[in-house]
Amino acid sequence: IPDFGHKYYLQFSTEDYRTGENAGSCLATVLYPRKKSPPVVSIKCSHTKDQNEIQEEDNRLYQRIRQQSKPITGSNIPDSHGNIEPALEPAWALAVAGSSSIMWEKSTEDLGYFLAQVKSVKQWMRKDDFIEFDYTVLLHEMPTQEMISCHMRLTWLPGHPLKVKHFCASQSHGLEEGSGLGSGSAAGLSEERGANF
Amino acid sequence: HQVLRVVPTSHEELQRLQELQGLEHLELDFWLAPHDLGSPVDIRVPFPSLQPIKAHLEASGVSYSIMIEDVQELLDEEQREMIRSSRRLPLSTNTFNYEAYHTLDEIYAFMDMLVAENPNLVSKLEIGRSTENRPLYVLKFSTGGSKRPAVWIDTGIHSREWVTQASGVWFAKKIVEDHANNEGVASILDTMDIFLEIVTNPDGFAYTHSTNRLWRKTRSKHSGSICVGVDPNRNWDAGFGGSGASGNPCMETYRGPYPNSEPEVKSIVDFVKAHGNIKAFVSIHSYSQLLLYPYGYTTTPAPDQQELHELSAKAVAALSSLYGTKYKYGSIITTIYKASGGTIDWTYNQGIKYSFTFELRDTGRYGFLLPAKQIVPTAEETWLALKVIMEHARDNMY
Repeated sequence: IPDFGHKYYLQFSTEDYRTGENAGSCLATVLYPRKKSPPVVSIKCSHTKDQNEIQEEDNRLYQRIRQQSKPITGSNIPDSHGNIEPALEPAWALAVAGSSSIMWEKSTEDLGYFLAQVKSVKQWMRKDDFIEFDYTVLLHEMPTQEMISCHMRLTWLPGHPLKVKHFCASQSHGLEEGSGLGSGSAAGLSEERGANF
Repeated sequence: HQVLRVVPTSHEELQRLQELQGLEHLELDFWLAPHDLGSPVDIRVPFPSLQPIKAHLEASGVSYSIMIEDVQELLDEEQREMIRSSRRLPLSTNTFNYEAYHTLDEIYAFMDMLVAENPNLVSKLEIGRSTENRPLYVLKFSTGGSKRPAVWIDTGIHSREWVTQASGVWFAKKIVEDHANNEGVASILDTMDIFLEIVTNPDGFAYTHSTNRLWRKTRSKHSGSICVGVDPNRNWDAGFGGSGASGNPCMETYRGPYPNSEPEVKSIVDFVKAHGNIKAFVSIHSYSQLLLYPYGYTTTPAPDQQELHELSAKAVAALSSLYGTKYKYGSIITTIYKASGGTIDWTYNQGIKYSFTFELRDTGRYGFLLPAKQIVPTAEETWLALKVIMEHARDNMY
């Protein structure tokens, strides 16, 4: 759009992250203004699952996590060989959902992300019914190929949107592993109201 | 420590056993706890408690058997077995585990085995040394002739892309098998040689095993920076210095101080130039499921664009035919992003018309950490595409 920016029209299908089953299709428009402000998005999706099914699955996931007697902790998920321990699958699934919120916020017309690995996860036990996890995740940035390390705090209760707070290390790259030692980024924790991603 | 087994046959016996559970000072470890009649109860008894427990059971008329005479001995034996099995290298390429990821040493050992088993077909060439002085090995598959037109395949140039080195190992074995069975690429080997560099970036690969699984670049050091490594797919002399690579040594797409600064790259450049008769060049990466041809450094279409595009379509169709894996294809710059100093842009400009790059499975769900069980399916489907390219090169000599 001359003097304004680029508008994209998208039609895409979605699939269940775990099973690969078709999960519906979406129509969207994404408008990137010339000036670096967040894009304007309008989207409409059809779902193959109905609300009840989704609620049931959410509850099952929730129960699976609540039933653990000890706080869930783990590192390197998947491991070097691509394996995910079954006991850590629920924590990984929530990391995928939470990371998508970080990616939603960070991506631009030129930069996209994938979740490369969950470096660490630690569950915080709460007195109320909410589940809370602390994560370090590695996001694979394209096309730069960089690995961005992000700290993510996630809270959830079925029926409520996922609440994600995150802080990503800025590109210090003084040391390998992207440890991002306090390289002067003033970005504080930004709260992200998770809409139903 | 011993493990005793008691099978309670009366409620009294059951009760006695349950009482034992409460006697903490005995430090009994119930491997199978008492719960009903007829169900075995297994108890690990530490040495100091052995006498008292046995005396107690005998005095109560409870019969028991000694399941494990010496727990420590069992543990020691297990330890020895574990050490033995980890050192147990496969004795031949037939017992090699293609469904697992391997270390550099294991892959280098595999190469030697393959050559030893097929001395008339396979030879191992050392084309140079890496920054950390590791040998750079290329397997040559040839049925004879002298400087026959050849196909080059490399895997593992980016070390974190583990499914590629693993596929390279599988390809090597596949070539040998096809030749033995006179099928598949056997006909290609009648008139062409195949060169296969499985671990194109051994320093990076070793680093992904020892320190950082997601390391991409080489391991070269550069004065003026504490950062290590150059992106070997930005270090070639094609559009070098342009956008599509970084001049910052700390970045993953750092192009290096000058073209071919990396021995891993220079050794291939020297090899290709010296050989002079390579007709197809395929460099394999992961992930994204793409088949790409030049150019990456410019939007100017390659002169052979149409033929390369059609050939890509055929190759991708063959790939998908096996497991339905979906691939996209096109030139690097239109399909993925602008990238300067890339391998196949250089090889194409050298006159190697059939220059391709693959990006193997998957599309981001596991990314670089592709589960090992996908190695063989990935290699199998990719091989079908490679055969299409090799056959086309053979049938369209230039």
